[in-house]
Order: sequence, then C-alpha cells, then structure tokens
Amino acid sequence: MDSGDEEASEKYRIHLRPATLRDAVPATLHLLPCEVLADRPAPVGRFFTPAIRQRPGALEVSFRGRILRGEEVVVPPSLAGYVMVMDEKAEVLAGLGKKQESRGSEKGDGEEEPQPLERDFDRFIRATASFARFHLWGLETVPGPDAKVRGALTWPSLAAAIHTQVPED
Amino acid sequence: MDLSELERDNTGRCRLSSPVPAVCHKEPCVLGVDEAGRGPVLGPMVYAICYCPLSRLAKLKALKVADSKTLSESERERLFAKMKEDRDFVGWALDVLSPNLISTSMLGRVKYNLNSLSHDTAAGLVQYALDQGVKVTQVFVDTVGMPEKYQERLQQHFPGIEVTVKAKADALYPVVSAASICAKVARDQAVKNWQFVETLQDLDADYGSGYPNDPKTKAWLKKHVDPVFGFPQFVRFSWRTAQSILEKEAEGVTWEDSSTEDQEVPKRITSYFCPEGPRPRLPHRYFQERGLESATTL
Repeated sequence: MDSGDEEASEKYRIHLRPATLRDAVPATLHLLPCEVLADRPAPVGRFFTPAIRQRPGALEVSFRGRILRGEEVVVPPSLAGYVMVMDEKAEVLAGLGKKQESRGSEKGDGEEEPQPLERDFDRFIRATASFARFHLWGLETVPGPDAKVRGALTWPSLAAAIHTQVPED
Repeated sequence: MDLSELERDNTGRCRLSSPVPAVCHKEPCVLGVDEAGRGPVLGPMVYAICYCPLSRLAKLKALKVADSKTLSESERERLFAKMKEDRDFVGWALDVLSPNLISTSMLGRVKYNLNSLSHDTAAGLVQYALDQGVKVTQVFVDTVGMPEKYQERLQQHFPGIEVTVKAKADALYPVVSAASICAKVARDQAVKNWQFVETLQDLDADYGSGYPNDPKTKAWLKKHVDPVFGFPQFVRFSWRTAQSILEKEAEGVTWEDSSTEDQEVPKRITSYFCPEGPRPRLPHRYFQERGLESATTL
C-alpha cells in the first residue's frame, strides 16, 4: 500500500491462513446494484436462485419488487477469486498459544521473520469460498462492458505492468 | 380452466383464450372488458374480455350472467362451464399479470402505475380479439374512478369501434358480467394453485382474501417476511401494506436511484465567497471510474 496509509494499516496485522485457500469450495456469487444495510446470512438458494430466468439477451430476476438484469462475469485468467472472512478476536486468542508453537513449521518460505502474536494487533483471515465467475446484476438494465467492476478487474494486470522492473539499457 | 402455462412460469404475464367462434368472424360482435384482483396485495391481477355476436346477446343474457362479485364461487364456476358449452357463439381471452410483473412495473425507475398498466392491458386484449379476426363493433368496459378519460383513450385507440366505459358496467351489460366471471374464475384458480418460486419453510396456505385490510392477510404477510429478500414473489411489493411491513420487519436497502435530496444541505451564500480550504486529495480518475479505493483496514 501507499506510504501514506501506514498509520491506518497499523490497526491490525493481517495474517492469511493459507490452508483455507486450498480447501475453498467454489461458490455462486451475485453482485447486486443495491446495498442491503445489514451483514447477515441470507437464504439465496431458497429465494433468489430459483427466481432467475433466462430471457433473450439477459438473465432476469427481481429483488424487493424491482427488476434486475444480469450477466456472468468471468474473473480474468491470471486472478483467482476468494471470499475472505476475518476470524473473530476470540478465535485468534484461542489459537494463540498453539499457533505460536507450530508457527515455525507452518511457514515454509522463511521470508517473514517470526514475530510473537499480539492479542489486539494480529488478525487472521481465511477463505470460505472461491470463485472463477460471478453474476453481475444491474437495476433494470444489464451492466454491460462499462460496469465499474469489470474495469476494476483490469487493475491488477495494469498494476503488475507499471510496477515491473524496466531493464536499464 | 387450464392455467398450466402460468403454473410453469408465473414471474411475468400469461395470455389464455378460447378458440374464436366461427360466427364471430362474420357477424358484428359486442365485447366486454373487466378485471379481477386489482386491489389485493397478494397474487395476480387478471384482465378478461368476453365477446359474442350482437344477434346472440339475448342468449348470453339468458344464461343469467351477473356481476361476479354478487355470485358465489360455485355459481361462477357453473356459469363459466355454461359459457364453454356455448363456445359456438361465445369467446373469451384473458391476460394474467403476475404480482411480480405488477411490483416491478410500479417500482421501476420510470413508474408505470396500476392505472396505465390496466388500461394498456385492456387495450391489448381488445387488439388481440381484432387480430384474431373477431368483428368487434361495440366495446363495454368496467372502470374504477374516472371513466371519461379512459373512454377517450380507448376511443382514440379504436376509432372504428363504439367504446363505452362505465362504472358498474359489470352489473349493467351481460358481456361485461361474462368477462368479470372469466377474470374472477381465473384469478381464484391462480391464487389457489399458486406455484411459489421460492422454497418457503412451513408455508401457511391460509392467506385470507388477499386484501390489505384483511387481518388474516396481514398476519400471513408478517409471517412470511424474510429480513433480506422481503416477501416471496406472490406478494405485490409495491402495495403500501407490504412496504410498511418491510420497513418494520426487514433490513433496509438502498438503491443507486434512491433519493439523495436530503443529503444536500444548502450552503450559506457567503460561503461561496470564502476560500474553501484544502480539498481532500481524490484518487486518480482511473480508480474513481472503477470504484476502486485503497484499503487501509479490512
């Protein structure tokens, strides 16, 4: 990240549980053109998925009485999609003692210096699902090639290109 | 009535019709339009037309058709069966508008209100009869509210036909009574055999009359709210009763076209003459256009 973000990013030290990436099962995801002002599980399989219809030129469904038209977006081949969840602090603490003992053996690359975990500072994230494609929904119209998220998916390859070492002549 | 097409897919609209009696191609016909299920918060709205030759109107009258609201369910079924027996001179067609179609029309970016939807559906059915070669010369339509404007609109649409729009037409003209019976029979059957798109847990089949002021209907609505998805598609989300239950019992949702008016606080006029101070540095346009922000925390 930028140097200007250092202060804020010090709030947590994020660790990834790498094993969860290997075990992540593919999931079906839907990106809706609205915000549900809550963070909770939803019965997508009972309410939403069975209501999707294939109409000429687009998928169609409705949410809260409004019509959505959608299409499938494929994640660029060089990228992999994961649904990440941060472990609760309690889970970090519970695993704190054990983790520290086994830490040395878990890390194979040895690039990172082993540091002791701190209860308020260290957090673990893990993948709960993976995806290579997802459904993108627009309010009444298909989002199409100009959709923001399609543009966003082009950033990683551009970022890689502009950060590549240019050989000096 | 065979509603299997609707039962296969009840997310849109569905048109059903009888074969056109041969005599209706040759003789001038009178056609009635009526609807059932306009008010309820549950289930589809059904528009129906019924037509017969002017020369056979007395025979239709002899069936003792009446406003469907004054008849019991079994009387309506019996009369509809009689109309089927008289298929050599009576024809009908109907349009079932699913609650999902009603909700999505009324809650669209461009609002398509129930009156316009009704008028267009009625006009569509008259046109359908004409397209099928029915020699329509007179049209009678039941209306709610202002009949004058509606009549003017329909008359403009069908200049060659004599259009009469009248309140209580379903009680005054036998063809409209017959249409009201077709509509009501179809609506009742559609509601009774509704195929829920959703998989609902312990679904309660007793939803009362479906009218918003029926306590049973209200209780049913409250029981079947999902905090995220709201209601099953059987419910008309655009009804005030449904909306107010959602406001209380479901999570809030904001759409990209949700009004942002109250966020714009008018500034003091003098503020336009003062230096604004340092503006926050916005990310490059590339990132703004793609909705990308740098994450500093997760």
